[in-house]
Amino acid sequence: MDLSVKIGSTTFTNPLGVASGTFGYGSEYEKLIDLAEIGTLYTKAVTPRPRPGNSIPRIIETASGLLNSIGLANVGMVGFVEQKLPFLATLSCSVVVNVAGDDPDEYREVVEYLDRHDTVNTIKGYEVNISCPNVKCGGLALGTDPRQVEQLTRLLKKTTDKPIIMKLTPNVTDITVPARAAEAGGADAVSCINTLVGMVIDTSLKKTVLPAGTGGLSGPAVFPVALAMVYRTARAVTIPVIGLGGIMTADHAVQFLLAGASAVQVGTANFVDPNIAVDVLRGIEKYAETERLTTIQDFHTFIE
Amino acid sequence: MKFIDARVIDNVSVAEEYYEMSFSWPSEETPLPGQFLTIRASDRTTPLLRRPFAFSRFDDGVARIIYQKRGDATAILAAKTRDEPLNVVGPLGNIFPVPRDSGRPVLVAGGVGIGPIFFFAEHIRAHNPLLVVGARTRGLLPAESCPHGIETVYATDDGSFGFHGTVVDVLKTTYSTDDNWILYLCGPEPMLKAGHEFATERRVPAWVSLEQTMGCAVGACMGCAVRVTGGLGYARVCTEGPVFDSREIVWT
Ligand SMILES: Cc1cc2nc3c(=O)[nH]c(=O)nc-3n(C[C@H](O)[C@H](O)[C@H](O)COP(=O)(O)OP(=O)(O)OC[C@H]3O[C@@H](n4cnc5c(N)ncnc54)[C@H](O)[C@@H]3O)c2cc1C
Ligand SMILES: Cc1cc2nc3c(=O)[nH]c(=O)nc-3n(C[C@H](O)[C@H](O)[C@H](O)COP(=O)(O)O)c2cc1C
Ligand code: FES
Repeated sequence: MDLSVKIGSTTFTNPLGVASGTFGYGSEYEKLIDLAEIGTLYTKAVTPRPRPGNSIPRIIETASGLLNSIGLANVGMVGFVEQKLPFLATLSCSVVVNVAGDDPDEYREVVEYLDRHDTVNTIKGYEVNISCPNVKCGGLALGTDPRQVEQLTRLLKKTTDKPIIMKLTPNVTDITVPARAAEAGGADAVSCINTLVGMVIDTSLKKTVLPAGTGGLSGPAVFPVALAMVYRTARAVTIPVIGLGGIMTADHAVQFLLAGASAVQVGTANFVDPNIAVDVLRGIEKYAETERLTTIQDFHTFIE
Repeated sequence: MKFIDARVIDNVSVAEEYYEMSFSWPSEETPLPGQFLTIRASDRTTPLLRRPFAFSRFDDGVARIIYQKRGDATAILAAKTRDEPLNVVGPLGNIFPVPRDSGRPVLVAGGVGIGPIFFFAEHIRAHNPLLVVGARTRGLLPAESCPHGIETVYATDDGSFGFHGTVVDVLKTTYSTDDNWILYLCGPEPMLKAGHEFATERRVPAWVSLEQTMGCAVGACMGCAVRVTGGLGYARVCTEGPVFDSREIVWT
């Protein structure tokens, strides 16, 4: 059995990743799980300059879900290189840096800076967040316009030799449109989905719970939506699709793989139980073994 | 910080809607006052997130929390019985700093803040702390769980037990200018804010333990932010806190 996944020039040893924004920069979970077991760690978004994040409260639980309005709070690219990269360099799992910015040039600035300072080749790829519902510029606005998606992808492909994974938003009528645009721009893979725009109102205060009004919904509540989007995306592009959204069990992850995903990411479930990610990987391997599937491609042969 | 497969030892009601749960806890992960743990209340997806609770006591091999039944997760906890497994991560967060000089520690607890304050009172017993415990009404005071042999003032908003007024009213009437106090507060935000204002007026140092909804509880998600005066303007309750110098907080 070989469940490794090739994205651009990089081979990821197994199909499991932990999703951006739910795993910090790795060190936060060091004492709770064996990071060597995870295939790929997707960092919290890195922007050119540090960001304080959105007003509080930023998190509210919903029915089987989590609504967040973090607002890309992060240490910025310089802080990332100084404070976070040295630890990430010690890990045996692959590291993909999630990148965000207010405009295309900011994305380029981050990728260029990180490439230049990643002297020991810790960073195995960039996941480009064009889908954050919690910031005004960049993010979602960029990710819903196929022309901008294609241009940004092309710009970043010119900037780095490392794989570029475009992270798609589900907040569109047809997710295959930005997916095709990313492929046309030269993306090495797409990942989907980011969070769905959602809202909660406190009826006693007659106010939205999140000061920003809306936030991004994640967790098991979004799983069927994410699965359908991955299924459609995998049929619209030829590059690998990374499936995420609501994975709580190995069965969810296997559904993504059967639907056409080449890899998966576990996000909100890390908050629920830090052991879930590794359990999901073990479960995928066990399923492959019992069903006699020897490669990820084998998973793709059942559902049209 | 560790993942711990704990077992419930005891889970009893200590006041209206308040429970005290004891559970097995490995001695090598000794918690200190101020620190908290997170519990996954059930394997289902509602409630989804782990819930944070402060340690209220630790004896070799046995940890405790005092909690209020509020919503889904705490209702599930309240129904747990002896020997049931408990999915716990801890200890998390920082601690109440032990007073260094000769000042008198004054420990103020309200609502769900009683657990960590009781734990700290036991811990610094030798410093002769004064304990001030407040509630809306008598039935909400877990008198039995209060540490014994420590000078304690009770206050109720309706005057049904002890001092008639808030815990901060107690501070105002008890304090005299020659007192060399150091304040520690845990409870509802309005109480903390009033405590901070009292402390600023009287130039008394004050430590507050804050609550905020948590996602990861280990510093990874930036979800538990509170407004602070320094840095980028936010600090994480789960990592930089839950205990803060009250002057660091932007009170609103
Ligand atoms: C550091 C810290 C220590 C705490 N210590 C104690 C304690 O010792 N005893 C005690 O009774 N309570 C404590 N709490 C509060 C406790 O976490 C909440 O009462 C509990 O989460 C309620 O869950 P529920 O499902 O029963 O209620 P819900 O109906 O879900 O929530 C009731 C209220 O609890 C808070 N809450 C909900 N979800 C979370 C979450 N994921 N993280 C944090 N708060 C949340 C919100 O303010 C909400 O309005 C502490 C909170 C923090 C942050
Ligand atoms: C608290 C939180 C923070 C997140 N931050 C980011 C981020 O910085 N960049 C990004 O691309 N996605 C971010 N996401 C989205 C997740 O990576 C993921 O796409 C989404 O949560 C769906 O997966 P899940 O249901 O498994 O969590 C965040 C999600 C959560 C819950
Ligand atoms: S709860 Fe995630 S950073 Fe504090």
